[in-house]
Amino acid sequence: MSAVADTNTQKAIARTSALDVRAEVWVPLVLLIGALGYPFFLLITSAFNVGDPEAFPARAYGFANFIKLTGHLDWIKNTLIVATGGTILGITIGVTLAWIIHRTTMPGRKWFDLLIAIPYPLGPLVGALAWSQLGAPRDGLINRFFTAVTGIQTPLIDIYTPLGIIFTEAIFEAPVAVLIIGAAMQRMDPALEECSSVFGAGKLRTAWKVTLPLMMPAILSAALFMFTSMIGSFAIPTMLGTSSRFYVSTNAMYVLLQGYPPNYPLAAALGLVLIVLTAIAVWLVQRVLRGRSYAVISGKNYRPRQVDMGWLTWVLFAITMLYVLLSLVLPMGTLLLASFQNSNAINFDFAAWTLRNYKYVMFDFPTTQQAIVNSLILGVGTGTIGVIFATFIAIATHRSKSDGRRLLEQVTMLPQAFPRLIFAIGFLWMILTLPIKLYGTLFAVLLAYVIVFLPLAYRGMSGVVVQIDKALEEAARVSGAGAARIARTVTLPLLRPGLLATWALLFMVSVREISASLFLSGTNTQVLGPAIFSFWDSGGMPRVSALAVVQALIILVALTVVRSMANRGVKV
Amino acid sequence: MLASNPSAQNTAGSGRGNAYIEVRDLAVAYGSKVVVKNVSFSVGHGEHLSLLGPSGCGKSTTLRCIAGLETPIAGEIVIDGVTVFSSQKKINVPTEKRKLSMVFQSYAIWPHMTVFENVAYGLRVQRIAESEIKQRVGDVLKMVGMEDFIDRPATDLSGGQQQRVALARSYASRPKAILLDEPLSNLDARLRVRMREEIKELQHRFDLSTIYVTHDQEEAMAISDRIIVMRDGNIEQSGKPLDIYDTPRTRFVADFIGAANIIAGTAAGTSAAGNPIVKVGEATIECAPGSKLLAPNADGKHLVAVRTVYPQMRRGAAPQANQWPGKIVRRVLLGDIVNYTVQWAGGELRVHAFPSELFGEGEDVQIHIPAERAIPVMAD
Repeated sequence: MSAVADTNTQKAIARTSALDVRAEVWVPLVLLIGALGYPFFLLITSAFNVGDPEAFPARAYGFANFIKLTGHLDWIKNTLIVATGGTILGITIGVTLAWIIHRTTMPGRKWFDLLIAIPYPLGPLVGALAWSQLGAPRDGLINRFFTAVTGIQTPLIDIYTPLGIIFTEAIFEAPVAVLIIGAAMQRMDPALEECSSVFGAGKLRTAWKVTLPLMMPAILSAALFMFTSMIGSFAIPTMLGTSSRFYVSTNAMYVLLQGYPPNYPLAAALGLVLIVLTAIAVWLVQRVLRGRSYAVISGKNYRPRQVDMGWLTWVLFAITMLYVLLSLVLPMGTLLLASFQNSNAINFDFAAWTLRNYKYVMFDFPTTQQAIVNSLILGVGTGTIGVIFATFIAIATHRSKSDGRRLLEQVTMLPQAFPRLIFAIGFLWMILTLPIKLYGTLFAVLLAYVIVFLPLAYRGMSGVVVQIDKALEEAARVSGAGAARIARTVTLPLLRPGLLATWALLFMVSVREISASLFLSGTNTQVLGPAIFSFWDSGGMPRVSALAVVQALIILVALTVVRSMANRGVKV
Repeated sequence: MLASNPSAQNTAGSGRGNAYIEVRDLAVAYGSKVVVKNVSFSVGHGEHLSLLGPSGCGKSTTLRCIAGLETPIAGEIVIDGVTVFSSQKKINVPTEKRKLSMVFQSYAIWPHMTVFENVAYGLRVQRIAESEIKQRVGDVLKMVGMEDFIDRPATDLSGGQQQRVALARSYASRPKAILLDEPLSNLDARLRVRMREEIKELQHRFDLSTIYVTHDQEEAMAISDRIIVMRDGNIEQSGKPLDIYDTPRTRFVADFIGAANIIAGTAAGTSAAGNPIVKVGEATIECAPGSKLLAPNADGKHLVAVRTVYPQMRRGAAPQANQWPGKIVRRVLLGDIVNYTVQWAGGELRVHAFPSELFGEGEDVQIHIPAERAIPVMAD
């Protein structure tokens, strides 16, 4: 009897320990590998293409493109300078602001917490546009003001320099660092620091020996996020660097692709180099982080110990104000001001202001009007499809017992390491080779958006799914509820706050996106980002500013809705 | 001998009446790690059974298999005459069709519903008329003393209140049996004792079979008709609470349930009454009538368990069998109970006594172990 049961057990174990990959894992995995792998494959073949440059996949292979690239090493060098400098400055701002907001008693912290978050969704395109009018050497507002006050004719600042690009990149990416590092600060048990003081360590020693090492994983993650997005950043270097012939990889790639004839293979080779650079950065950070994900920083939220800095509080207040001024008040103010003008020269005479630029971009000019509508459709579409897809994947990776769920998670996060501009080029070539006619449709842009923003959507949804106690669904099952009823009455209501927040985030990044849509949106499928960009290219500051203000308003409305929902949201 | 036969060891019959829930040769594995090994037991109609053991012993997994929340790799589960799982017949009735109810360690109170909606959930699934649902939810909430909270959002409740709502929810749907998975382990000590009493009260009101999983022996003893002690995925011992307490079969059970002195000695024949005798140090201990020394451990020593509450300490008692002079080396006052460490011919003995008669440190006493309290146990 027992022998029979034993052998049954042995057989059953042999059966169950065989590879068990279930549909909820392999279906999304296959879809994703196809959607990421094929564009990547085309990019690689094109990078080694030495034959017909417009053949996808290529027919003749060689290293000629990479050899040609060695003549343009400054593109790669400049990319690294901008990304490294921007990351260092951005992290400095991020750590400082996160610390001021979460760890000091500075007045108005709650308000600043809201204000500091805004520049990121406004995005680099709006930022570059605004700062090109603020910091231009001759007629930039800051320099005009400086000359008017001091009488000195030499400009105070020049935004069309590598330093200007680094500065603009840093201030518009810094909110992400504040978010990541601030979250880690809130999850750190204050007892760890208190213990250090009890043993006699002073404030500085505690900060250096306890707080900073504990924050290191968060700081590194934030740095990696910034570095990869700056490597692939398109709008800022193009708008601030091209006129002074400062080329990083992305605006060089743009020139290569816009030239006649377009140099696809060289652009692909350059893109491949960028992907390798990003991969190296990811690998390095993971190596450093390995075994350093401290259990003390997870789950539970603590009230961090707040330090009263005395008279220094006002210095901190000034620093925070300065950031809000540079990243939000001045840029938005400038855009608003410019959008009311009759000509490129900014006139401070209120009587001369006009609203006709808004009328023009919203009603009179079909291209921009269509771009606004298309961007709203894309925002809603990317939000909806992205959230649904990400929720399925998050449930599969966290709840399924299938093998391969870790792999699915890694593949889902993979697009983060692809600069979006480069992925979009590979994606464009892919849809050109597909038998279905996708090129020039809004659906193609939508697909590309869903793929490039999937890591963002997955991160959001996975955070929510993890927080929901499995027993809540099990309790419903034991009560007799079937799968559909559990989804309707338990899972979805519990996911709702997270679903809405993630949806709105996807909506915002889709509305402001330019890198992924620049080459994918055709003449009949204009969207906001590329429309603003081409408007800027052909001059006409008042109108492009008006369009940028419209984009910013759409994003700000979405942001307000999220914030108010988050405040009323159910605590899970 | 018993240890070599895992099936016999892992079988625990029903304590009362016919089997209502029956588990046969249940085996569960995660990957190639077997966490429950051919466990068999049954629960009678209206019987209150506890699965007791340390964490990782497979007790929760066994319970979740009965609920259908885990899929065993082998075995059979029958509830009320219906086979709900059988690896051989390829039957696996889904959880929602098993008509059970369960109380979770985390309470699993849905945070987005009110107290009423939580309790009414299972009734609504059963498509019971709304008027009757109101009636039944009201009744059961009254029973757990939560009727004033009926319209509160579930997030407003304290731990103990959530636990009461979870209990009300599981009783309201009139299930075939109630499964409780460490329901009290997240409560503080005082509340735990009170909720224990309330669960017992509910068990008396509803004549439902319950299976109660816990790592707390006090809880198991207080609440159940029968206890199954589990360890490493096996059933270690099963029986009425007092039987398990008084006659542990293994050293593990003696240690895990209550506190015991484990005395390791050599066999020294039998007494005039035919009871086995163990020699430890200078002392010879006569063991319980009808008992037999079990297989010795690696050192060739036989083990005898003596509960810390059973040795008797007296000042200047008349000599008798199983009595030796001893000296109190340490005394710890715990309030309701006093822990002594006594030096005697067999080494050191831990004795728990009441503070009504106190002995001082260094005091000489006569220590007596009644033969029926010296229980031979199996080494691990």
